[in-house]
Amino acid sequence: MARIFAPLVLVILLLLGAFWRTSGRPRADLVIVNRTEVSTLDPSQLSWQHDFRMARLVYEGLTRQDALDPNLAILPAAAESWEVSADGRVYLFRIRGSAKWSTGDSLGSDDFVAGWQRMLLPDAAADYLTLFHLIEGGQEFSQWRATALQTFTLDPERRGDAQAAAQLWQETLTRFQGSVGVKALDDRTLEVRLIHPVPYFLDLLAFPAFVPQHASTLESIRSIDPRTGAAVWASIWTKPASLVTNGPMRLTEWRFKRGMRFEKDAAYWDASSVTLGSIDVPTINDPNAQVLAFRSGAADWVSDVSPGYRGDMIAEKAAYWMEHAASIGPLLRAGANPIEVDAALPADPSNLVHVLPSFGTYFYNFNCGPTLPDGRANPFADARVRKAFSICVDKQSLTGNVRRSGEPVAHTLIPPGSIAGHVSPKGLMRDDAAAAALFAAAGYTAGAGFPEVELLFNKDGGHDLIAQAVARDWARALGVKVRLVQKETKVFSADLKAGRFMISRASWFGDYGDATTFLDINRTGDGNNDRRFSSLALDRLLDAAANQSDPFLRSGLLAEAERVLIEDECPVLPLFHYVEVSLFDATRLQGLGAHPRQIQDLARLRVIPRSRAQRAAAP
Amino acid sequence: MIRLLLNRLVQMPLALLAVYTITLLLAWVVPGNPLEGPEGRRPPPEVVASMQARYRLDSFAGFYTSYLADASGFSQLTSIGPTSGPFFDLGPSLQYPDRTVNEIIASALPVSMVIGLAAVAFGLVVGIVAGTLGALRPGSFLDAATFVIALVGVSVPTFVTGTLLQWVFTVNWAIFPVAEWGRPRDLVLPAVTLGLPTAAYIARLVRMGMIEQLASDHVRTARAKGLSEFRVITHHALRNALLPVISFLGPALAMAMTGSFIVERLFVVPGLGQHFVNAVQNKDLFLIIGVVLVYATILMLMNLAVDVLYRWADPRIGSV
Repeated sequence: MARIFAPLVLVILLLLGAFWRTSGRPRADLVIVNRTEVSTLDPSQLSWQHDFRMARLVYEGLTRQDALDPNLAILPAAAESWEVSADGRVYLFRIRGSAKWSTGDSLGSDDFVAGWQRMLLPDAAADYLTLFHLIEGGQEFSQWRATALQTFTLDPERRGDAQAAAQLWQETLTRFQGSVGVKALDDRTLEVRLIHPVPYFLDLLAFPAFVPQHASTLESIRSIDPRTGAAVWASIWTKPASLVTNGPMRLTEWRFKRGMRFEKDAAYWDASSVTLGSIDVPTINDPNAQVLAFRSGAADWVSDVSPGYRGDMIAEKAAYWMEHAASIGPLLRAGANPIEVDAALPADPSNLVHVLPSFGTYFYNFNCGPTLPDGRANPFADARVRKAFSICVDKQSLTGNVRRSGEPVAHTLIPPGSIAGHVSPKGLMRDDAAAAALFAAAGYTAGAGFPEVELLFNKDGGHDLIAQAVARDWARALGVKVRLVQKETKVFSADLKAGRFMISRASWFGDYGDATTFLDINRTGDGNNDRRFSSLALDRLLDAAANQSDPFLRSGLLAEAERVLIEDECPVLPLFHYVEVSLFDATRLQGLGAHPRQIQDLARLRVIPRSRAQRAAAP
Repeated sequence: MIRLLLNRLVQMPLALLAVYTITLLLAWVVPGNPLEGPEGRRPPPEVVASMQARYRLDSFAGFYTSYLADASGFSQLTSIGPTSGPFFDLGPSLQYPDRTVNEIIASALPVSMVIGLAAVAFGLVVGIVAGTLGALRPGSFLDAATFVIALVGVSVPTFVTGTLLQWVFTVNWAIFPVAEWGRPRDLVLPAVTLGLPTAAYIARLVRMGMIEQLASDHVRTARAKGLSEFRVITHHALRNALLPVISFLGPALAMAMTGSFIVERLFVVPGLGQHFVNAVQNKDLFLIIGVVLVYATILMLMNLAVDVLYRWADPRIGSV
């Protein structure tokens, strides 16, 4: 007996002991729960909201936004000043002399050139490569490199030859220097030439894709793969030990699927404005555990409550606001944002739930191509049909009864109030009679002769419930038959990209503070134009806006473009604008902004320690 | 014994090759492009093309051979690939661009091993004690009680027991923390949840074995010799009753050590189990193959260990 189990028990104890690491470090000043693991801190690979949020902690671009300003005003950051040429196409940035990397090296203009060059290389596979096409020569450069890599791989003479690959790399560097409009004029002066005036360029520069990248680190971890000729940057560089950053905080610990720890960076030029010493960001995927972590006091902020919890939380919150309506009215009229209102109201568990607008819209795509995937003529190529389908949906009941997540009904593609200076049109209101009339005018009186409608959506996320409600509205108002097609997410996106659908669910989140972030995806041939929509009128308006340097005239053109899109052409049917439901105590956590773009200055938040009394009162 | 070891060690690479081929085939035919996320801005076509070339996702044969060369250490031995990587290079993760599959497994496997070992240790102790107690007085209240507990342990799914334990011990009594990992007390609830079905199964195995053993001739002889009842049970009955437990230990350990998606999710444990599910959903080809190969290797090693242990415990088997 002992002969069998003694060694077994010994092995178990030894292994347990060997793998056990105790962590006796104190709790950070701020603990934020992330629902999903941050996928990367490599500026070229960023693509998710939570990645950007963390990237803003550790990196700083030439500019940054004032998170508490209702218009997200631009502040100088790594650049202390800039000049813009009269035609709005050439920017000259002066990099701050006190700007430093976390290693203590000074930040120079060549770090921006190195970072942006990497963004433009197809080798780095940046999701936001196209934003850099605004730079003179950028698009031509990245396309040239892509072709050169393809030729290299197909060439049996050069493929696998390290020397040939290195030669191609040298050629690429020379080409970049000679043709792309970003140059280090001296250590601290950066010149950027744009293809046309970009009024939102300073806002774009605050976007983490435009941050500097430590030139010598990039150099040291880059190798050229002789099999493809492409540059490869070793993944080691974003680990805490080797990551070099220039933001208010630096990454000190990153345990995969467990969380990250950030600490104040003393080398940061504006360190005196950084109020927090440390931030912990545990990854908690389970909805239950997220809420428990907040309620037990282990976390200060759950930024994105899982959908399953939202309905009840929002209902309680709404009841609480109703109860205090008398005191909320004057606060809102005085210009307080919802977070400030909550901070002023009496403490209550419902007061910890916050429903804030977000920079995204949930909508349906109509396939606008001339034919359907099976070769039949596409009835949705007719704008009247799309419009008829658009104006007979009961969006109010959809958000109020089906979703119950506090989302506002959408009549426009751009969330209202999210872009300073942009005035969205009113959009189309529900009118079943007009819908039936339009449908009849298109030749389908009461649905006669109209093919069975297929509505494509992906699994999970409650898309099925929305689809059922909308399909019922269509059937009732237009007399059409609707078939619901639910697919696995990966299959769904493949179908979407290939245009294999009649109507599909979709969503879009804006990236920067300009209407084009929502409108450009409807241009003819745009890589994200899943609708295969093509309108000469819209393309012309967007082109005219791109070349218009007068901000007033430009915003008029963009407003007209959105009106054409959602009132005349209707390739998209906006259903609701997303909200973010978060949990935090507004009296303890101060400095979070309520702007739909959800840009937060986390390093400069003020956190009032939880007192014993508050802990007792916590739900 | 040595022949057995040699035999198995020669078979292992062949079995792994079969596992690799089948997994890759299945993962390859799943529709969808792993380089594109479901939402958000799509990378431009030239980026997708260059990525496909880099990861060799453009041809099945190319991927099959180059991955095999990297993962088996062949690339390192012959230095046809990048020489700086690890010997068994399982490739990059498509979902987490900052991580290689080797890194992901290196961070998750120890966690899964700790929780798996703790769960099996819990299962062994509870299962053997409960099974023995039940067998001593078949039909008694104690036997019925252990039977009910075992039945519950086997049939109630872990997401129910886990949620229940969490509700009682973290929400109501606040004895154990929520969603933390790194201290011994963080291990208790997940290990108990994961170990309960094992405990229940072992209890039934031991009970059956013990009842049979206690009625056997050699136990009667031992009792007739005047040995104490304790000694009879531990040295004569239990030893033989445990043989089926040992053969169950291999798969149980492999199962527990490669993690459970549900337990990991409930208690926010950063183990390997989640990658089985998530990698497939994300079509993270390299990660899918990586975790499957590691799981297969562990399973084979565990089975080998059990066979060795078995021969050691029961010399009759070796001589057959």
